[in-house]
Amino acid sequence: MRVANLSFRYGRRDPWVLSGVELGLGAGDVIEIIGINGTGKSTLLRLIAGLLRPVRGTIEDRPGVVGYAPERFPAGQPFTVAAYLRHIAAVRGVDPRSAEEWSERLGMDHLLGQLLPDLSKGSAHKVGLAQALLCRPGLLVLDEPFAGLDAATRDELPRVVDEVAGRGGIVVVSDHQGDLRALPGRRRHEVRDGTLREVPVAAPDDGSDVAEPVTMLEVSVVTSKAADLAERLRAEGHGVRTVGTARPGRTTGTVVGQ
Amino acid sequence: MAPVMALARFRLAAYARSHRAVQPLIGLLPLLAILYATPVPAGAELGAAADSAAILVPVFAWAARGLLDIEPDEQRMIFRTAVGRSEAVSGLLAACAYDLALAAVAMGALVLRLSGAPGLAVLLAGGCLHLLSVIAGVVLGALTSRPILPSPAVSSMVLIFGYLAMLLISLSGVRWLGVPLMAWMRDAHHCVLLANLPLLTVQSLLWPALGLAAYAYLRRTRP
Repeated sequence: MRVANLSFRYGRRDPWVLSGVELGLGAGDVIEIIGINGTGKSTLLRLIAGLLRPVRGTIEDRPGVVGYAPERFPAGQPFTVAAYLRHIAAVRGVDPRSAEEWSERLGMDHLLGQLLPDLSKGSAHKVGLAQALLCRPGLLVLDEPFAGLDAATRDELPRVVDEVAGRGGIVVVSDHQGDLRALPGRRRHEVRDGTLREVPVAAPDDGSDVAEPVTMLEVSVVTSKAADLAERLRAEGHGVRTVGTARPGRTTGTVVGQ
Repeated sequence: MAPVMALARFRLAAYARSHRAVQPLIGLLPLLAILYATPVPAGAELGAAADSAAILVPVFAWAARGLLDIEPDEQRMIFRTAVGRSEAVSGLLAACAYDLALAAVAMGALVLRLSGAPGLAVLLAGGCLHLLSVIAGVVLGALTSRPILPSPAVSSMVLIFGYLAMLLISLSGVRWLGVPLMAWMRDAHHCVLLANLPLLTVQSLLWPALGLAAYAYLRRTRP
């Protein structure tokens, strides 16, 4: 699959959200999309999933079976979890039993009889993940998949992503919280100022780099930009601690390099 | 085709379970009560069927719009990834199915209030007019559905004024620009509908065909 010179804006008078994006996606690739809020990550994911048409440029060779889990699962629907997943399995043309398998794996088999509007945010999010996974996607697009999940599912999801990639699927994930850090071989791209650029991936947080020395950097940044910078650095796997305001208009932060 | 039919079943089930399917009955049942307050005299059956078909277009459009808007936008996107652009086809099929059920209720009410025993041709012509009414209603409902007109207020106004425009255009000399609703009623009451039905059918399908093309074009960029 190839994204070539992609540009997108929502209307003719609107500013460009993305401009000149290039991205090659091969079988088994796991792509992590990072970037601060409002930079166009979800828009890029929707373009990759085929939900939006590029204004300029092309997206070629998209796999035939696409699984898409939106950032907010639409829980306001008059179905139980089981009935909803059965309908989705029928629409996808897969065995309805696969819905039960995914329910068990994502730790929500006790929710099958509950109505979707009664679910908590995290439980609804699991339903969103299950519907995206039960079709054995060739392209899996997950928009902030870790938001609101319990610890067990947070641990399980990287393994699921790894399995999809292992059978030749392409996985594209936007991840603010860095929960994919345990997954080796992923590629990380940052959406910034309407463009997409590859950024290096920090070493896995598995204890293997304990012996590596840590460098403390002291960074001065304008207060209004401090939160964005901290979020970006955390997304890249660095530890960030805000020390305080040095003088009016400036914040001093300490960055722990990993 | 199986995924498209499964998706149509999903939407019909969601429409029924949410009880929104009841809303168009608020329009349908009072209109039928008014139309058939007195029994239909012998010989006036086709006129009554034409009146019913022409008057029920906004009810069919309302029902179609409600069904097409039944799922949240994110769910519609999920379906887009599942079945591609057939998602729109599935919605139109589900809307047609529900509107046909409403049209069957309308024809049932007509048959129950008949004084005479009209021939099969008259009943078939009445059914044909209701089918044309359903098609016009589904297209009007689709063009006012949320992916095309996100504002509920604008959508409702376009639906109402779209129907009024249809009525006015059908009174003019360019009735083929819209659905010739007035011509249905006039020809039926003047007992010339059966002779004119082929031409009226063609004229009645022209606007829905253009409307469907516009809907398909607009949905390309409006998931």
